[in-house]
Amino acid sequence: MDATTATGTAPLAAGGPVEESTVVGMVMQEPVAAETKLKMKVMVAVDESEGSFYALRWTLDHLLRRSSPALAADGDEVEMITLVHVQQPFQHYAFPAGPGGAAFYAASSVVESVRKAQEENSALILSRALHMCKESMVKAETLILIGDPKDMICQATEQMHTDLLVVGSRGLGKIKRAFLGSGSDYCAHHAKCPILIVKPPKEASKQ
Amino acid sequence: MEDTRQERQRQEVMVVGVDESELSLYALQWTLDRFFAPYAPHFPFKLIVVHAKPSPTSAISLGDPGVIEVLPIIDADLKKVAAWVTQKAKDICNSRSVHDVTFQVMEGDARNVLCDAVEKHHASVLVVGSRGHGAIKRAVLGSVSDYCSHHAHCTVMIVKRPKIEG
Repeated sequence: MDATTATGTAPLAAGGPVEESTVVGMVMQEPVAAETKLKMKVMVAVDESEGSFYALRWTLDHLLRRSSPALAADGDEVEMITLVHVQQPFQHYAFPAGPGGAAFYAASSVVESVRKAQEENSALILSRALHMCKESMVKAETLILIGDPKDMICQATEQMHTDLLVVGSRGLGKIKRAFLGSGSDYCAHHAKCPILIVKPPKEASKQ
Repeated sequence: MEDTRQERQRQEVMVVGVDESELSLYALQWTLDRFFAPYAPHFPFKLIVVHAKPSPTSAISLGDPGVIEVLPIIDADLKKVAAWVTQKAKDICNSRSVHDVTFQVMEGDARNVLCDAVEKHHASVLVVGSRGHGAIKRAVLGSVSDYCSHHAHCTVMIVKRPKIEG
């Protein structure tokens, strides 16, 4: 995990000069002309939860509204978002419940099949997310990271100089009463960039 | 014409919380730059800027009987701050040519004021700076933005100032 998070000069996305010009664009405070819009780099964290897909849907509807067919023809106007999915590393061992048990290591075949299942899972999630973006005529790139979701997302936003991170409010640790999951809360505290926390619509959150 | 009317009906409400901290004014400015300026003149959101003016009794600790006389002075001071903040917010909006903005000053704790404003205006987004209330020097999420991210019934956007890249 540490190898990938060396310095800011090892970005996961496109080359350095492009990012630098984006940074300069942010610092300029003059209102920009219609042609040279400030392109906001948005990263949306998706996982299996419906909340994260709703967050993506909200982002596509609200942040990227100006993507009308006329504008889409001019490739310059279409926003680009980054979809990030974090796979949790599979624990290769299991502790049996009885007393005096040692850790049993999972057979390599089990590890393989779990890894395959995880990859398929990620692929499914990201393809669904990509499909949503395509429908809204938004270019999207995908990113799969392995590790603890909270840390990986925060690191990714730093490395890619994201302008806005979008997360759902509740992920996999679904505690129904909480309005904000621990993952989103962690990101809200630790991400260095602005963060948008999308809550599910009121009808969905029955208590 | 039809389109404009339809858009206005569809227009969602965005509440931005501001206080005297530079960070919250930066949050307002950032929001305008990203979410309003590029879409002129058909802004996707109706903007409401809310300042929570603390009540004078919360600004001081009650215990000393002589304190009651000081309350009006403190209140006048708080009103001055509120006016200053509102003016600053107005300047920022005007500089980005966003004119149809509602400015509100409500008395009370910022946490409750902002969540109430969201309810009252049926806002779809609440924007706060990362250090919500006053100048807290710790580099952590301010208590107001933390509270709002947990308790507001709408999407919450927490705007942080990026570290100056060295």
